[in-house]
Amino acid sequence: MSFRNHPLLELRRAEVRDRLTEALGALDRELPLRPEVVLAGKGAAGDDRASSDPCEPDREVARLRWADAEEAERALELALESEWPRRPLGSRAGVLERAAALLVERRDRLAALIVREVGKPWEDADAEVCEAIDFLRLYAEAAGAAAGELAHAPGERNVLRLRPRGPTAVISPWNFPLSIPCGMVAAALVMGNPVLFKPAEQSPACGWELVRVLLDAGADPAALAFLPGAAELGRWLVAEPRVATIAFTGSAAVGLEIQRRAHAAEGQRQIKRIVAELGGKNCVLVDSDVDLDEAVPAIVRSAYGYAGQKCSAAARALVHEAIADRLVDRLSGAVELLRVGPAGDFATEVPALIDTDAMSRYRGYADLCEDAELARAPAPEGGQFVTPLLVDGDRLAEDSPVLREEIFGPLLTVERVRDLDHAAARVAALPQALTAGIFCRQPDRIERLVELLPAGVVYVDRAITGAMVARQPFGGNRLSGTGARAGGRDYVRHFADEQVVSTNVVRHGVVL
Amino acid sequence: MDDVLESRTRELAEELWRREPGAWHHPFVALGRRSLGSLDQRPALRSALFRFIDVAPACRGPRERGAHLRAFLREVEDDRVPALLRPLRARSAPTPLLALYGLGTGPATALIARQFIAGRSVSAATRNLRLMWRQGQSFALDLLGEATVTEAEAEAYFERCAETLRTLSEVTSGWTAQPLLDGDQHGALPRANLSIKLTALTPMLRPLAPELGAGDAARRLRPLLRLARDAHAHVHLDMEDYDSRETLLMALEEVLSGREFEDGPSVGVVVQAYLRDAEESLERVIGSAALADRSPPPTIRLVKGAYWDHERVVATQRGWEPPVWGEKRQSDACFERLSRRLIEVRGAVRPAIATHNLRSLAHAAAFLEQRGGDRGEIEFQVLRGLGDEIAAGLGRLGYRVRVYTPIGDLVAGMAYLVRRLLENSSSQGFLLRQRHHSLEELLEAPG
Repeated sequence: MSFRNHPLLELRRAEVRDRLTEALGALDRELPLRPEVVLAGKGAAGDDRASSDPCEPDREVARLRWADAEEAERALELALESEWPRRPLGSRAGVLERAAALLVERRDRLAALIVREVGKPWEDADAEVCEAIDFLRLYAEAAGAAAGELAHAPGERNVLRLRPRGPTAVISPWNFPLSIPCGMVAAALVMGNPVLFKPAEQSPACGWELVRVLLDAGADPAALAFLPGAAELGRWLVAEPRVATIAFTGSAAVGLEIQRRAHAAEGQRQIKRIVAELGGKNCVLVDSDVDLDEAVPAIVRSAYGYAGQKCSAAARALVHEAIADRLVDRLSGAVELLRVGPAGDFATEVPALIDTDAMSRYRGYADLCEDAELARAPAPEGGQFVTPLLVDGDRLAEDSPVLREEIFGPLLTVERVRDLDHAAARVAALPQALTAGIFCRQPDRIERLVELLPAGVVYVDRAITGAMVARQPFGGNRLSGTGARAGGRDYVRHFADEQVVSTNVVRHGVVL
Repeated sequence: MDDVLESRTRELAEELWRREPGAWHHPFVALGRRSLGSLDQRPALRSALFRFIDVAPACRGPRERGAHLRAFLREVEDDRVPALLRPLRARSAPTPLLALYGLGTGPATALIARQFIAGRSVSAATRNLRLMWRQGQSFALDLLGEATVTEAEAEAYFERCAETLRTLSEVTSGWTAQPLLDGDQHGALPRANLSIKLTALTPMLRPLAPELGAGDAARRLRPLLRLARDAHAHVHLDMEDYDSRETLLMALEEVLSGREFEDGPSVGVVVQAYLRDAEESLERVIGSAALADRSPPPTIRLVKGAYWDHERVVATQRGWEPPVWGEKRQSDACFERLSRRLIEVRGAVRPAIATHNLRSLAHAAAFLEQRGGDRGEIEFQVLRGLGDEIAAGLGRLGYRVRVYTPIGDLVAGMAYLVRRLLENSSSQGFLLRQRHHSLEELLEAPG
């Protein structure tokens, strides 16, 4: 249990910020990057597709082509023939260790790329690189100890072994374009599974850099294919009978569709395993005894950091009526001061949304809140910037989509409740259960609320985003996921089959 | 370290020590201190009681206070809980019992707070301030308040500061003359003395973009300096955690770099000796163009620093090397080095030695003597409620003492109060060591 998280950059030091700004300048001179479809370690470039900087849509970050059906088929064949599953565990774990070291070397450039390709502000971008490093190191460490011990009776020897399951499709989101695919790919690889990795359409360059790191670190080229593409490719991977495991992080709608499609194909030789991390409608409960000096900044950070585009982001605050006026007053004031701007600016708190689709979805929700607005922050004209909003949830219809659906934008609703038991009941009525927050200072009440909340991760008296590898293994319950905990020691087990070997060690009536 | 200085340090410390004990008289204060001291042996109970004191003012009424106290105490092992509080731990403690304990603890919390906080407002504290002045102590007022997270809160704090600057000069102008307090080698010393928290003056503090908070704070700092100049008041910028230091220094440099304030008001900054880069920090302040050649010269308050745990936690959670020294003796040694440096440049700045550590202050006093300085050429600063005996002892030896005096209400003052209580009861804290150790141990040279 000696795991230590990789140190974040100390961005409060001017010289560290200067170093990153330089890295960003150097990256800009390379743009657009040319990610390639990677099969058997060999790349194929193209130029009919692109990704762009959300904060400055005219800036092209990557130019590439998508993998075609033939390449996907070829990738799967390579995976099935790959020697990777027979590589010893220690060697596979060594690849992860070396990849972690390469990420450390390349951290400034990778953080800069995250800033550019998905418009994530520096602090979060750097934290993401560190999370990727942590995933690699934790899974390398956990893989060796994953099997665990069995009980024995005299005369028998029982061993639990873990076996690779086979080709794993990794379908990853754009909001953590490096660390989330890194975690999924690393867990699959370390347990001996070849990987077919399809990055999000919006963030191919980050995915490509990850693949290069892993190949440079010694991953078997036949066991790691990089297949940029759209939903169609994803659907093929999900339905393909020769794929053994699907690791997916994304929306609940897609996650449920994967559940339906995965098992429908003819000729399947095993039941596919789905490791899915889906969205949430995360709530923060605020009791009457809280210290607003602490609670207000924590709630603001949870709801508006990275423009609310984290699956852990706070969407609803349910507040004890005795403190609601004060809280709303202070929250409103704090929201009005939010800095909306380009991700590369160290002062920015709310960057642009990922793409124009996301903008129009967000505006749809914002329109529903027209008569319930409590506060807003000024946003720059143009680009993909939107106006962060604080909304009075009590003035929305009880079944308003704003209160039920994952918005994935900078919008927080506030509702008043008679007491926190009522708040917990409302939260428990939601289908999602990813993260939740409790602000309360009475230990027995906190304990009771934790019991009432179904969320996968409950945060007490702190922000509800920023889970750390090995410290807060991350995953949701109910419709928020299949229960795997990213950044937990058991995560790697989802990528292996168990095999129990029981040997009779009695010969001639003697235990030999 | 030279031997003469070392032996003179010990002589002065012993002299202070001898003069001090008489002041430990007030029975309630003595009792309070004894019980705080005993908490050092019972960390779980201490944590429970401090968390209770912290939340008590935010509770709505006695019943809720009682419920909180019970919940905290239930987390402590039974034999560690004082007999007086044990009935409350019962699972079935009825509501009237909760209310009863709640009723008792309200005034108790207020009583503890009053020891450290001079009053709710300037007017409420005036009597206390005058009393201190008559006893030969000047003050540095600190306005306790909630954190500033909105524009309106920054404005409100600004207004409180402005109002305080206006009132203070009026209030203090009629006081009788105290030559030691009214002037030093550089000339007249303002009686009105206000400490300002820069983080309260702006909601835009962003450690990653210090220019943002600095610019915003400067906007409010300028009119306050004008007011202070007109009212002949001193304005001191308090130093808080490491995240805000750059913003503070930037704001100060921005405001003072123009010519507008070169002839006043009197301003001051703080250097925290518990920081590894404290020496650089002091040199930056001394060498700063904004602070050089001012008339009157800037006051530099040297402190150990009050956010040691906070800095360790923040840094450790993120994998950083903490900006503070790892050991108390390192801070002590740094404090002595910096106090010597400050005293050497006392021709250009006004040194203020702010510590309750007997050895640290004796060292500064001894060094001043060795450099041929008069006792009035530096001042000592202590915290209200924590340094009363030391203040009295220093006063009798002819040193100028300024008492850092917070005012404000309880809810707002709780962060300050809890930090002071922790200081007062931790084994690292000097006061406790002072009670449990011999003079010889206390005077050991750090480093």
